[in-house]
Amino acid sequence: MEILTGLKGLSFFPLAELEVGQHFYWQIGNLKVHGQVFMVSWFVIAVLVLASLAATRSIQRVPSGVQNLMEYALEFLRDLVKNQIGEKEYRPWVPFVGTLFLFIFVSNWSGALVPWKLVHLPAGELAAPTNDINTTVALALLTSLAYFYAGFKKRGLGYLTKYIEPTPILLPINILEDFTKPLSLSFRLFGNILADELVVAVLVLLVPLFIPLPVMALGLFTSAIQALIFATLAAAYIGEAMEGHGGEEHD
Amino acid sequence: MIQWTILLAEAAEEAGGLFDFDATLPLMAVQFLVLVVLLNVLFYKPIGKAIDDRAEYIRQTQQAAKERLEKTNALAKQYEQELVTVRRETQAVVSAAQADAQKIVTSQIQAAQQQVQREREAAAQEIEAQKAQAFQSLEGEVDALTRQILEKLLGPELV
Repeated sequence: MEILTGLKGLSFFPLAELEVGQHFYWQIGNLKVHGQVFMVSWFVIAVLVLASLAATRSIQRVPSGVQNLMEYALEFLRDLVKNQIGEKEYRPWVPFVGTLFLFIFVSNWSGALVPWKLVHLPAGELAAPTNDINTTVALALLTSLAYFYAGFKKRGLGYLTKYIEPTPILLPINILEDFTKPLSLSFRLFGNILADELVVAVLVLLVPLFIPLPVMALGLFTSAIQALIFATLAAAYIGEAMEGHGGEEHD
Repeated sequence: MIQWTILLAEAAEEAGGLFDFDATLPLMAVQFLVLVVLLNVLFYKPIGKAIDDRAEYIRQTQQAAKERLEKTNALAKQYEQELVTVRRETQAVVSAAQADAQKIVTSQIQAAQQQVQREREAAAQEIEAQKAQAFQSLEGEVDALTRQILEKLLGPELV
């Protein structure tokens, strides 16, 4: 009994506490939204826009500073999309897939690097927007729409033949794929980021100093990897939808 | 630990929980699309244009450099050929000049030899002529002396 009260005292230790599944609700009309997600996402958008503005303020032929960094980022994204979609078709998809990567990456890292704890909200807490299921499902559904759009635009109604290829027996599985793709995309991202933040939070709860640092570093690494995985898979789905299984256009 | 799990459970109960879908989802989707458009204008287009322009500039410069290099190589080859022909011409001129000189030398030597020959012949003829003349005059003197000797020996009456 004494131990329990001791634990109780520990759990209200002011350095760290754990809140999961609590949201800071905003009421818009009769709609409820998660305010903390939007606040951090606006921060992320502001970071991206400011970085873009800083990079394009005076474009030089020989780049330096922010322009160099952003050119590196863009070339990285172009390579990523080109590898998945192919040299011929990749260009229109660079903004979408690239923004997926940048948004997720900056979100994840802002959740890991910015001390949001210092901002006190009435309910819930500020964290990476990607640890809210709404954000990841939104991004995954947009990806689904994107690859449907890509498929129908490129192949017209012929896109539907992919459901009975290579054989009509696979029709249910092919239809199921359209549901599993956004599901796996969103839950992978959501689960990884939430788990990472929870692990750090739990470790901080147990040992407040120094011990969580390696886990935090690992968290930075997984955050970057998750952004890369999401963007790569999105590009792969889009590329697959445009390519088709027919195999008559292997160029 | 137990305490903490209880706290977690309570938290999940009283708020919406982890899987709390609401208007955040569509608004986030719209917001993301706006971000795509925004970044397309602010980031992808200008930076992409900068990259492409640079690639084009490098390609053109490289092309020009390659062309110039080719031209240089062609010029070098041409000069080398010209050098070869010029060297050949030089050799021909030199050998022609040498042949000419040789001819002149030979002809002059020949002329000199002929002249020498002629002069020697002339000298020999003159010597011959003078010898004949000397013999003639000597003969005359011999005759006179012979007459005198005969006169002295035989007397002038008998001669």
